[in-house]
Amino acid sequence: MGGVLAVLGPLGRLNAALCTAGRAIGVVAIAVMVAVTLLQVVMRYVFNNALPWPDEAARFCMLWMTGLMAPTALRHGGFVAIDSLIAALPVRLSSALTLILLSIAMLVLVMGLSIGWSEVNGLGGRFDTASLYLPTSLSFDSWYRIPRSWMMLSLVVGFAMLILVNLELMIRAFMGLLGAADRLPMVRNPELGSAE
Amino acid sequence: MLVLFLPVFLFFLMVGLPVFFGLLFAPGILLWLNGQERDITLLYRNLYNGMDSFPLMAIPFFMLAGELMNRGGITLRLVEFSQALMGHFRGGLAHVNILSSMLFAGLSGSAVADTSALGSMLIPAMEKQGYTRRFAAAITAASSVIGPIIPPSGIMIIYAYVMGESVAALFLAGIVPGILVGTGLMVLVKLMADRYDFPVASRRHTWGERGQASLKAFFPLLTPVIILGGILSGVFTPTEAAAVAVAYALIIGLFVLRTLKFSELGDVLSKAGITSAVVLLLVGAAMSFKTVVSLSHAPELLAEFILTLTENPLLLLFLINLLLFAVGMFLDAGPAIIILGPILGPVFTSLGVDSVHFAIIMCVNLTVGLATPPMGLVLFVAASVSNEKVETISRAILPFLAVEIFVIMLITFIPEISMTIPRLTGFAD
Amino acid sequence: QDYTLRATANSNENDEDYDGLQVFKSHVEAASNGAIEVEIFMGTQLCSNGAECLQGVADGSIDIYISTSGGASGLFPYVQVLDLPYVMADDRVAEAVLSGDFTRTMRDMALEDSGDSIRLMTIGNTGGWRNFANTQRRVAQPSDIEGLKIRTVVADLPQELVRALGASPTPIPWPELFTSLQTGVVEGSKNGITDIMSMKFPDAGLQYVTLDGHAYMGALWWMSNQTFQELPDDLKRVVVDGFYQLQQATFASPKRKSIQAYEEFVAGGGDLYVPSPDEKAAFAEAAQPVYDWFTANVEGGQEIYDALTSAVSEAESELEAARAADME
Ligand code: NA
Ligand code: NA
Repeated sequence: MGGVLAVLGPLGRLNAALCTAGRAIGVVAIAVMVAVTLLQVVMRYVFNNALPWPDEAARFCMLWMTGLMAPTALRHGGFVAIDSLIAALPVRLSSALTLILLSIAMLVLVMGLSIGWSEVNGLGGRFDTASLYLPTSLSFDSWYRIPRSWMMLSLVVGFAMLILVNLELMIRAFMGLLGAADRLPMVRNPELGSAE
Repeated sequence: MLVLFLPVFLFFLMVGLPVFFGLLFAPGILLWLNGQERDITLLYRNLYNGMDSFPLMAIPFFMLAGELMNRGGITLRLVEFSQALMGHFRGGLAHVNILSSMLFAGLSGSAVADTSALGSMLIPAMEKQGYTRRFAAAITAASSVIGPIIPPSGIMIIYAYVMGESVAALFLAGIVPGILVGTGLMVLVKLMADRYDFPVASRRHTWGERGQASLKAFFPLLTPVIILGGILSGVFTPTEAAAVAVAYALIIGLFVLRTLKFSELGDVLSKAGITSAVVLLLVGAAMSFKTVVSLSHAPELLAEFILTLTENPLLLLFLINLLLFAVGMFLDAGPAIIILGPILGPVFTSLGVDSVHFAIIMCVNLTVGLATPPMGLVLFVAASVSNEKVETISRAILPFLAVEIFVIMLITFIPEISMTIPRLTGFAD
Repeated sequence: QDYTLRATANSNENDEDYDGLQVFKSHVEAASNGAIEVEIFMGTQLCSNGAECLQGVADGSIDIYISTSGGASGLFPYVQVLDLPYVMADDRVAEAVLSGDFTRTMRDMALEDSGDSIRLMTIGNTGGWRNFANTQRRVAQPSDIEGLKIRTVVADLPQELVRALGASPTPIPWPELFTSLQTGVVEGSKNGITDIMSMKFPDAGLQYVTLDGHAYMGALWWMSNQTFQELPDDLKRVVVDGFYQLQQATFASPKRKSIQAYEEFVAGGGDLYVPSPDEKAAFAEAAQPVYDWFTANVEGGQEIYDALTSAVSEAESELEAARAADME
């Protein structure tokens, strides 16, 4: 049990650090989404000159926001689930059920990561984005057209982070199964909202 | 074989697998057992592409706008405005609670935000005036479901996206049903107030005071006008309208009313981002799920089965209300719409029910489910802001639910209630 | 049956694509004596845009898919050659060109670019010809279109064209176009008449159509090369013939459908303007920058442009000869 705890500590700190970084980037992403969408409205009405790229740039940010912020939600129980059965069971049984459910989640995540990685490297990733370019010189006279794989990578990174978080949750459930739930380190809860 | 995905999914859902994983796991495992490995890739691809959508961006934006308004002390102004109008009635604060929810609904698309914002303010105030805590919590929860019915509405954006409807049409169709729910609740409060002699909240405000309160609430109340006016006049798409609402909330919060601090922005953005991330993953997973729904021919089979029950569309709508209501007791509105929309929508439109009308039936029904025992999300939020037990609130809310069920029946059997505004504005046939 | 071909089109069952698929299905299933079954999925049930559907074709989760040139241009930018304005004069020229070696050239380019995974089977039509339509005024010459906000897809070539004519290209998603026209977010579009009518755009104020026919609405029919190569030769023949039948059906279908569409448009008070040859030449002149842009900026642009123009002049001279013979 000590060994498991020894893994849990560093893994928890790693996840906390990754989630914090993910949230920070996500906050920037959502701000950019708002900004470019507004820019498009202004360009269309004030300058009568709609830009081709804000829509896609905003989607780019939204996908990364999702990939990078979802792990925080999973870590703090923010994924929607019907948990009345788990709540009704005695501690050990509920830990066992939780562990089974987390294993299923792990299967989904690992499959997702492996498919996602081959998708990024596959043909779909080679598609150009419709309108996103990156300057490749300081004088802004040569541009690199961003491929779709840069957007697709968001979900792959998200799945990788979700796997790490899920692993942490599995270890915690396993400790609960052994009856050592009280020895688990606390996870600080950031404020979560709801869509409804 | 593939058609088993639904029972398999429901089983894992009931034992507690998060909806997101269930939506991918159930179809995935069946495809695998069926020897259709290549289609598992299709699941992943539709998950990703399901999220890659500009119209969906309205979800994080409206969430953000609602959150900014809330932190910006704007809620307080709406409540003061409601009080100036209705505070002098018997049961004044109960009326104020309902009216505030209707006004708040024009700024926010979330019943949870409504309950926590208005509940934390109004439940203590109602208690101080002698209402029981359970009554105060119950009326807060019951009226908060108006939030996602009157536009803007998170679940309507989801429904429109998953089902290929126009967001604008659904928004417009929700206006009258939302007002109807509010009015229904007020009528009930009036009846109860006379019978149980509820307190009056304040003296009658003079028209001058009312004018002052409306002036203070003017900027917040302008939000729905900007959103709907902008969409209707075509100045912006619904997603752009949502971004404009964010900008507007920022400007009035930071500079005009000065109720919002720059230092709070990071928190607000982070909260809206995390919540949206979960919703977007769910919507993406729903699009995967929908692919398997198509591959399995489940809607056709279901339609056949339903038609063996009865071919009377009115009776079918009644049955569907029961089903949706039962689902709403256990599942939140967003996930329920995501799961049931693709399965039920085609069945009813093929029976001649207008797709916008059906969307409203579904949205209102599942939204009311948010306040329905035993699992209604809003009940739990009301419990936590009021420190009252969920079971107690669950009993106190029953009369209000009866009113809301009555309104659902009206909406179901009188399509004109929802369809008139979208038809007049040319957003529905 | 031994083989199941899963075919998908992102349009609905009123579209030419569906007509083509029905013809394909009926031919292939009959001619293969039931050895091949064709399953048709219309709409976005399996995938919803060029990028994801073509990826499905590449890995074999989708066997057959029809894209427009815009839908495939993210991967095969040179298919936009079909959007070059005023290159092919009319249906006869276009049909001769697309039935010939030009399509094979494009097939080879796409096979090479996709690592032998995506095979262009044939190019048919989906919706006739693109014309300029707007809510404001009759457009008889390029100057009439100046300053209008014209909806385009987010693809380079259509945007370059609109810009070359002095209008401003505005990207709007197809499902939002009705509302955007109605409310003035955009003032015009470039679509075929059947799409204009099926989306009820005249109700949104789109009352001026100029039959400039600036682009042929080519339908690119793709097939998973692996699926195709796994068929025995006799069934390959059946599939190839099936695509020929499909092509012929999609050539014919928009013509039939557009008759009623034009009638409805005019009956609803729409202004249908046929530009004179001089006016058409003025449009072609104004569009000149687009050709330079295409050959200079699009990978494989010069190669495919040459293939198209030589196919066009060949087709034109053959057609002239055929016409002369028919008139004798
Ligand atoms: Na609302
Ligand atoms: Na309320």
